[in-house]
Amino acid sequence: MANAITNAAPASMKAAPAAKRRSFGELLATDLRALPVVVGLVALWIFFAIQSDVFLSPRNLSNLLLQSVVVGIMSLGLLFVLLVKEIDLSVAAINGVTAVLMAKFIVDFGLSPWAAVAIAIAAGAIIGSLSARWMTYVGVPSFVVTLGLGLALNGAQLLILPPTARYGLMGSGIEEIAQTNIEGAASWVVWAIGLALFGMLALTNATRRKNAGLSVNFMSELVMPIVVGAILSGGTVLILNAHQGIPLMVLIFAVMLGVAGYVLKETQFGLYLYAVGNNDEAARRAGIKVGTIKMLAFAIAGGVAAIAGILAASRTLGVGVFSGGGVGGGTLLLESIAATVIGGVSLFGGRGSVHAALLGALVIGTVQNGLNLMGVENEIRLIVTGLLLVLAVSIDKLIEKATGQQVF
Amino acid sequence: MSVSNNPGGSSQKRGVPLISMRNIQKSFGSVHALRGASVDVHAGEIVALVGDNGAGKSTLVKVMAGVHGFDSGDYEIDGVPAKINNPSDATAYGIQTVYQDLSLCNNLDAVQNLFLGREMTGSGWFGRRIKRAECEVRAREVMTRMRLGNLSLTRPVGAMSGGQRQNIAIARSILWTPKVVILDEPTAALSHSAAEQVSSLIRSLADEGLGIVIVSHDIHHFVVNSTDRIEVMRLGANAASFRSKDVTGEQVVNAMVGGNEGVNLAG
Repeated sequence: MANAITNAAPASMKAAPAAKRRSFGELLATDLRALPVVVGLVALWIFFAIQSDVFLSPRNLSNLLLQSVVVGIMSLGLLFVLLVKEIDLSVAAINGVTAVLMAKFIVDFGLSPWAAVAIAIAAGAIIGSLSARWMTYVGVPSFVVTLGLGLALNGAQLLILPPTARYGLMGSGIEEIAQTNIEGAASWVVWAIGLALFGMLALTNATRRKNAGLSVNFMSELVMPIVVGAILSGGTVLILNAHQGIPLMVLIFAVMLGVAGYVLKETQFGLYLYAVGNNDEAARRAGIKVGTIKMLAFAIAGGVAAIAGILAASRTLGVGVFSGGGVGGGTLLLESIAATVIGGVSLFGGRGSVHAALLGALVIGTVQNGLNLMGVENEIRLIVTGLLLVLAVSIDKLIEKATGQQVF
Repeated sequence: MSVSNNPGGSSQKRGVPLISMRNIQKSFGSVHALRGASVDVHAGEIVALVGDNGAGKSTLVKVMAGVHGFDSGDYEIDGVPAKINNPSDATAYGIQTVYQDLSLCNNLDAVQNLFLGREMTGSGWFGRRIKRAECEVRAREVMTRMRLGNLSLTRPVGAMSGGQRQNIAIARSILWTPKVVILDEPTAALSHSAAEQVSSLIRSLADEGLGIVIVSHDIHHFVVNSTDRIEVMRLGANAASFRSKDVTGEQVVNAMVGGNEGVNLAG
C-alpha cells in the first residue's frame, strides 16, 4: 500500500510528457494566430476581384496599399498601448493637432519642413507620455484621460488653425512625401537591403542558438522565413513597380513595421510590454518599472500618430478641421482601433504583434477600396467594416472555446 | 523545557541557521499583527508556518521577504543582522519568494517567465536585445536539475496545468541559486497527484541544501507528510512547534485553534 502511494508520483510524472506535436487548435491559438485574418483577407480579394476587373490591377493595388498606410501606422502605434492593457482614444486628435502644428510652423513661421516634422513628432510623443503620467499618478483610467484629452486637443486644433480653417501645404516640401516613389533599380536595392537585414537577424539568432548548443531547425527557423519574406516582399515590389514604384509612404510604413517588429520580438522593452499587459503585478514584483513601460508605450503611440498625421497632411496637401478625422476622431479613430483588433491584438492586454497592424489596415483598406470600385456608398462600407470587426473578435473567441486554449 | 526558551527554533544543533528571526513585532496602525514571532530556518530543512487566518504567518514571511519592515526584534541571516528594506534586498541575501498567485505571465513562455526582470541582454539597435539562446540554455539546466526536463520551454505558461505552472514558479525562484525559498500555499490549487509532484520537488531542493519556508493550510496531507518542522502561529506569536514526523494533523489543528496551549513537541 505504502509502495503504491510512493510510486504514484513518478508514474504521474511520466504520464504527462511535453506534447511534442501540437494540435492544430493550439497552433491556431499561438503560432498560426494570424491565419484567420489572412484567410479573410484573401477571401475579400477574391470577392472583389470577381466583382471588379480593375481590383487586381497594379494601379489599384498600389492605391489600396497607399490608402491603408495612415490607418496602418495609427494601428501600429495603438498596438503598443493595447499590449500594456490600456487604450488611447486621443491618437486621432494627436494625429490632427500635431499635423496642424507642423503646418503652422511651416506656413506662419517659415520653419523648415524637417524641423516642423521633428517638432510634430516630439509633440505627439510628449502628449502621449503626459496622458500616461496622469493615468499612473492620479489613477484615472486611460479610457477617461484620453477621451477627455482627445476632445481638448480637437479644441486646440481649431484654435491653432487660421480663420480660413485650413493651411495649404502645396509647395511646402511636405507634399513631396506623398508624391515620391522609388522606382526601378532603386526599388530593388531597397528590397535587398530590407531582406538582408531580416536575414541577418534570423541568421544571428540561429547561430547564437547553435553556438549555445541548442537545436536549430534550419528549414523552419532560417530558410522558410527568409524565402517566404523574399517572395511576399518581392511580389509587392513587383506589383508596385508595374504602376509607379514604391511610394515613399509605403516604404515609411514598412520600415516602421520592421523596427516595431524587432523591438517587440527581440528587445527587453518589447518583452516587458507583453509582461505588463498580461500581469502587471507579476511584472512589478519582477522589478519592472510598470509606470515607465506604460509611459513609453503611450509616447510611442503619440509619436507614431503624429507621423501618420504628417503623412495624411502630405496626401491631402494641407491640414484643416478634418485633420485627424475631425472632431471626436471620427472614422480615423474608430478605423484605427478596428484595424488593430481585426489584426488580432487583444483589447485585454498582452497579445498581438506587428503584422496585426498591417493585416488589419489591409482589411479595412480593402473593404474601402473594393466597395468604392463597386460603386457602393459610404454607409455600406461602415456597415461592412463594423461587422468585420465583430466577426474577427468572434472568431478569436470561437477558437478559444473550441480548443480550450487561451489565445495568446 | 529548554526548548521553550528557543521558540520557533529547531532543537537540533546544526550550526548557525540560514535565517533566524527573534521576537519580531509589527503593527499596521492599530493592528498588532506580530507580537514577538520567531522562526529559524536551517539549510536542508523544510519549515511549515501554519495558523488560522490573521495568525500572522503571512506577515512574518512578508517581513522575511522584505515586503514589510518590522518594528522590533532581530532578523539575522547566517548569524549576521540583516539589513532588508525591500524585496530586492531580500533577493540579494538569497531569499526568494514564490507567491500563491505564482506571479507568472501567462502569455510568456517558461524561459521568459524564469528570467522576467533579470534577462541576460546585450546591446541592440533599439534598446537592449535579449540573449534568448543563453537564457534558454540556463533555463534548460535548471529544469533538468529539477527533473522537469520534459516541460516545454516555448509554450505560453497559460496553456500549462496548475502543477506545471507551480513547478515553473519554483524553478524561477531557484534560478539564481538562493539560500532560502519561501513558498506561499504551494499546493492550494493543485490536484492530489500534482501536489505530490510539487512536494517531491520541494524535498529535492531541500536535499540540495536550501532552506524552505512554506505557508500552507493543507495541514493533513501536505504539511504533516512533506515538511520537517511545523511552527504554529496564533495571534501574531508562536503557539507551538512540532517535528512533522511526530505529529498528526489533529494535533496541529488543535494547536492552531488554541486547544493545546504552549505544547512543544519539537524537543
